[in-house]
Amino acid sequence: MPYQLRDDDADLRESMYFPEVIRGVGILMKQFLRNFFFGREKNPDILARDRSFSQNATLQYPEERVPYPPGYRGLHRLVPREDGRPRCVACYMCATVCPAQCIYIEAGEYPDDPIEKYPVKFVIDELRCVVCGFCVEACPKDAIRMDSGEHAPPSYTRAAQVWDEKRLLRGPPVSYQYDPWLRRGSPGIAAEKLAELRASAKPFPAGATDEYSQTPGFSVRTLAAEAKARGEKR
Amino acid sequence: MRRFFGMVLFAVSVPLSMVLLSYGVYWIVGGFEHFTSWLGLPATYGAAIANVLVLMAGVVMTTAAALTVGERKWSAMIQNRIGPNRIKVFGLSVGGIFFLAADALKMLTKENIEPDKRSRVLYELAPMAAFAPSFVLFAVVPVGPPVDIQIGGVVHRIALHVASIDAGLLFVFGAASLAVYGTALAGWASNSKLAILGGVRASSQMISYEVSLGLSLVGSMMAYQSLRIEQMVQAQGHLLWGFLPALGFFLQPVGMLVFFVSAFAETKRAPFDLPEGESEIVGYFVEYPGMKFGMMFLAEFIEVVVLAAITSAIFFGGWHPVFFEQTLKEAVGEGTVWWAAICAGAFLAKVLLLCWLQLVIRWTLPRFRFDQVQKLCWKMLLPVTLVNVFLTGALILIDESLELLAVVGIVELVGMVLLTAAASRKGELPVTVHGAPAHAHAPAVH
Repeated sequence: MPYQLRDDDADLRESMYFPEVIRGVGILMKQFLRNFFFGREKNPDILARDRSFSQNATLQYPEERVPYPPGYRGLHRLVPREDGRPRCVACYMCATVCPAQCIYIEAGEYPDDPIEKYPVKFVIDELRCVVCGFCVEACPKDAIRMDSGEHAPPSYTRAAQVWDEKRLLRGPPVSYQYDPWLRRGSPGIAAEKLAELRASAKPFPAGATDEYSQTPGFSVRTLAAEAKARGEKR
Repeated sequence: MRRFFGMVLFAVSVPLSMVLLSYGVYWIVGGFEHFTSWLGLPATYGAAIANVLVLMAGVVMTTAAALTVGERKWSAMIQNRIGPNRIKVFGLSVGGIFFLAADALKMLTKENIEPDKRSRVLYELAPMAAFAPSFVLFAVVPVGPPVDIQIGGVVHRIALHVASIDAGLLFVFGAASLAVYGTALAGWASNSKLAILGGVRASSQMISYEVSLGLSLVGSMMAYQSLRIEQMVQAQGHLLWGFLPALGFFLQPVGMLVFFVSAFAETKRAPFDLPEGESEIVGYFVEYPGMKFGMMFLAEFIEVVVLAAITSAIFFGGWHPVFFEQTLKEAVGEGTVWWAAICAGAFLAKVLLLCWLQLVIRWTLPRFRFDQVQKLCWKMLLPVTLVNVFLTGALILIDESLELLAVVGIVELVGMVLLTAAASRKGELPVTVHGAPAHAHAPAVH
């Protein structure tokens, strides 16, 4: 039960209407004057806004957005490697687990790599996607993530909601110690860069925790904080 | 902080701009008077014509139209929202004032869809019948005091006052009850069940409230011994015990309350918006498209302005600037145009304040149920106002100088204040564990 309802009979004072009406009008006047003399704060960091003067909680949506919480399942992205190629090895795990069957993959082979496959086509139909996040959990290579911190943008055509690998492949790259291209080297990565990456790569993830399925700091919230730091005012 | 100082400046500049506006209006009226006496028309003809044009078509219409936007913006402030602000000219939304133009454009360019089996003449007549009576009410309201001007050796007495008729308040009651024709006709002529429900509701509600509306002003008529509103205003400048102006607010607090409520019911706005009843029946104007609906919509707002004007004329001293009246009078000089402009500015400022108060009340209260509306009128307001009539009569009979009436009125006011202040905490929500205020987590960063 959210709160207790009191349904007592009105006493004499209340059944006279006017005292209670005047009191109610007073409350609303207070609220009016508060919002009349004090505008809402326009701090781009929405969560830090001070509502002690004006309690106005409206966000001017397209310009101001609520930062989504960490762990928010946003638009998919294909996580790139350091050399810009996708981490995806076209194993079809995500396409298989997908309950909405919205992922379509065509596998291909690199000419310079005898072991790894790669997706020639990797298409997600965002209109069919039910945002369950199973694909992220199913991926053995941490190659697909939903950490973009944004929802699918609106469009005028259905075709625009079908995201292919060129649009999906974005965001910061991620490296793990077990990544074969780190262990044996890759033509796309210079030698000293390779050493640096080997040193900084993450250990093997024990499970699909938030810590691993999220790229720390990659969210709209961070963008808003950065905008605030730059002193941008709208 | 910038907004705070801007708004303080705005609040101060409203009465000042009203004074300047009134000054301009007096000059226009005087100019018309010069013109018509040059044409050979009798005295005050030009003033009356200019008053119709400037006051009724200018001030009242502009205020009513601005209130349509003001209502949206002010209700937003009451409800912690922003309100209309998306129409911007040069990047400025200026309190959403451009929505006025957008609304008018929308209303005028809408397709004219009309019910097939309507009664054609009455259907076309109804918006005018709803609009005109509420509009014409303003004719008897005195906006500013009279000023004597010399034209060709003859003294012309002009005032910001369209018509000065003996019947005064009776004209108000008569014209106000004509307004019910518009709603009833609109309901009946549009051949729709929902519309006629609204029309019937409007008729029964407005006819009920006519009774208490009329009776609530009887006390004021007796106290000021006149039906002319300008004489009632003049009488309110008289000081009781040498310091307290004989405002209707002090002499007739009960009458004021009853009048305000009854007139509120006449405007057909929440909490008395049964005839409209947006969520159940759409109302008597459900079959009206475009500007025909706009006329009825605007009529409500004009009624708001007129109600504010009449209330402020009869109960809040009309054009008397109540505070520092003597000082101002000595500084400016009685009978000058500037003094008249200050008075008229004070009146317009009072009208704006009362319009605002009506909008706040409209956003405070939910709609009454229909039996509650009738019960409030017949079982509460009518007995109260009858008692008020007899009490006022007796008190005036005992003490001709109105001082006893003022004492009783102030006692009533104090009683009302005490009753309001004695608000119990009953019915308020108990503080729950997770019911912390929403801004509690916000750090105090500026």
